[in-house]
Amino acid sequence: MIGFAGLSHLGIVSSIAAATKGFDVLAYDPDAALCAALATGRFPIFEPCLDDTFAACRNRLRFTADLRELRECDVTYLSVDVPTGPDNRSDVGLLDERLAHLANNSAPGTILVLLSQAPPGFTRRWAERLGNASGDLSLFYQVETLVFGRALERALRPERIIVGCDVLRSLTLPARLPAAYADFLAAFGCPVFPMRYESAELAKIAINMYLVSSVSVTNTLAGLCERLGADWAEIVPTLRLDPRIGANAYLSPGLGLSGGNLERDLATVQALANEHGAEAGMIDAWLVNSRHRRDWALRLLHSEVLSRFPDPTIALWGLAYKPDTASTKNAPAVALIDALAGIPLRAYDPQARLVAAEHPDSFVQLPSALEACAGADALAILTPWPEFRAIPAASIREMMRGRTVIDPLAALDGMCCRRVGLDYFRLGEPAAKEVLV
Amino acid sequence: MIQHLQPRATPPARVVVLGGTGFVGRDLLGRLSTLGVDTLGLSTRDLDLTEASSAGRLQALLRGTDALVFAAALTPDKGKNARTMMRNLAMAQTVCAALERAPCAHVVCIGSDAVYADGSALISESTPCAADALYGLMHRTREALIAQAARQAGSPVLLLRPCALYGAADPHNSYGPNRFLRSARCEGRIALFGRGEEKRDHVAVGDLSGLIIHCLAQRTTGTLNVATGQAVSFAELADLMSGVWPNPVRIEYSERQSPVVHRHFDTTALVRAFPAFTFTPLREGLRAMVREVAPQLSNRAPQASTISTAKEA
Repeated sequence: MIGFAGLSHLGIVSSIAAATKGFDVLAYDPDAALCAALATGRFPIFEPCLDDTFAACRNRLRFTADLRELRECDVTYLSVDVPTGPDNRSDVGLLDERLAHLANNSAPGTILVLLSQAPPGFTRRWAERLGNASGDLSLFYQVETLVFGRALERALRPERIIVGCDVLRSLTLPARLPAAYADFLAAFGCPVFPMRYESAELAKIAINMYLVSSVSVTNTLAGLCERLGADWAEIVPTLRLDPRIGANAYLSPGLGLSGGNLERDLATVQALANEHGAEAGMIDAWLVNSRHRRDWALRLLHSEVLSRFPDPTIALWGLAYKPDTASTKNAPAVALIDALAGIPLRAYDPQARLVAAEHPDSFVQLPSALEACAGADALAILTPWPEFRAIPAASIREMMRGRTVIDPLAALDGMCCRRVGLDYFRLGEPAAKEVLV
Repeated sequence: MIQHLQPRATPPARVVVLGGTGFVGRDLLGRLSTLGVDTLGLSTRDLDLTEASSAGRLQALLRGTDALVFAAALTPDKGKNARTMMRNLAMAQTVCAALERAPCAHVVCIGSDAVYADGSALISESTPCAADALYGLMHRTREALIAQAARQAGSPVLLLRPCALYGAADPHNSYGPNRFLRSARCEGRIALFGRGEEKRDHVAVGDLSGLIIHCLAQRTTGTLNVATGQAVSFAELADLMSGVWPNPVRIEYSERQSPVVHRHFDTTALVRAFPAFTFTPLREGLRAMVREVAPQLSNRAPQASTISTAKEA
């Protein structure tokens, strides 16, 4: 039996993945109402294919709000969300608390696996604590690679599994995993990399650092393209063919970092570098670049609309920080809404809902994309939901009062927009308002 | 971070401007008066801020409902040495002493982008202040002094850092629109360092005043750079000036004495704070300068300018 303690986004997806692989799974959360809802297939999260995947494995998956039931499990994962503060620093207090509860309620010999992201040093501190207590519990750290919008796919078919172990105690490399845990991981059919705790904790951060570096270089060069008359989209294919950069490199320009996870890891690296005297000045540069790119749409709205027309109305498509998720954490759209307080904003998002009371009175969320465009002087599309591409440019033009379309992430076909007389702006290409024939 | 303590714009009860006869102060007072705002402009003739004894007199003039604009400063053309710096700091010290005993509803300190080092990449309010010269150090120190005094007095404070200002009434003859206009008018030429490659941002003094008025009306606090975000090269500027000046202007290049250093501003913070605020386009601002200094010429069509190098001149 595999157990999951903490039915966060990570916990829900991971427990369903484990059941799909044929294991009996017990999923625990202290929130009884949540457990009841999940048992009937009502999910508080959105992920593609979640409903169908759950339906296929629900007879192997049981939800409970009784912590003691986890004593039945051979391997128990801790999968709570780790909150971050306004400074993006992780607050591990909840992790400490839940791990303590779990340790106190696990049967002797249970394999505990920390799936929630922990800063380097955390797992060893707990391993020593558990080693000093009786109970014969072993602790591992497994790197989670949750990607909102692709979480189920990544949980079912990971590229590799990274496991942090108490290598120093076992004095063997690679560390040998207990049979129950090894058998579970083998079901995923991918390489498993056991390593010391600190390496695994840092591996997760390292993955995100490389992604941030790629994003930041892309954004910097895309910004230069906009000023030099180059088009970043013309350059990208040549980069993907360079094996040192790679076909899957992050080369699409964006509106800075959002979602929370990357920013958290940047804050962790900065804190570690400060504490241990390591050089990490590039983190500041990445953060400056991210903040600057986040406001690309605002600056363009100002130069094209706000400074030219009295009493403008702005249409906004996309509130989530990326497609296929309802999460708006650190979303560029939320930053734009707050920056445009007092200016009428008509918004639409297929999934994300903002609490009206938390945003300016001038903000309203509408049930369809074209309704949001009615009478607008400009349309800004900050989340490239695929459904936007199907909306005819002529329909957009007809609904709007103005002609400005700010589409940083190319949700629409720019050529079609220009053909119907819209002034179309995208990241990485110089502004060109003329109609192309 | 910029914050508006009064989201709904409300004119202040009274605006006291220190440096009332200066380039910025005079323009600001004129615009405030046009809007019907009660003002008190003070210059050296009224109150010598370099004298410590002036603190008491200033304190007696201030009311708790006043907005105080500190625009008094000795500019670099009056000296770039330690003596000028200390006199400027003495002014700030006097203002601080007055504020400590007579808090105001709002304090606006007019500083300078000189607080940032030359060669700084895209300058924003987050760019570290690392002034290369005494003038920039002076402004940074004044900001710190005023901010601390205002904080202790419970007076909300705004630090404004304008980039290069221009306007017909500017007495300083700094390299840029001001000097180019004067030399076009008096000598029929504009002399550029090198080929005028350096890019700089220029703000019309009327735009700075307009922005200050918005800040006063909304009791804005924080730190804000004042720049258009559209830096142009001095060569382009000379070209624009010769285009609006009605008589022929000779543009002269010279041998370059120092490396080209550009200066650009990220104006996102200003856009966020005042989304509808617009700057006067440079060409229009230069035309307005010409109209003001030479109204009798401003109706003539501009004539072709010529370019010569230092060797040919």
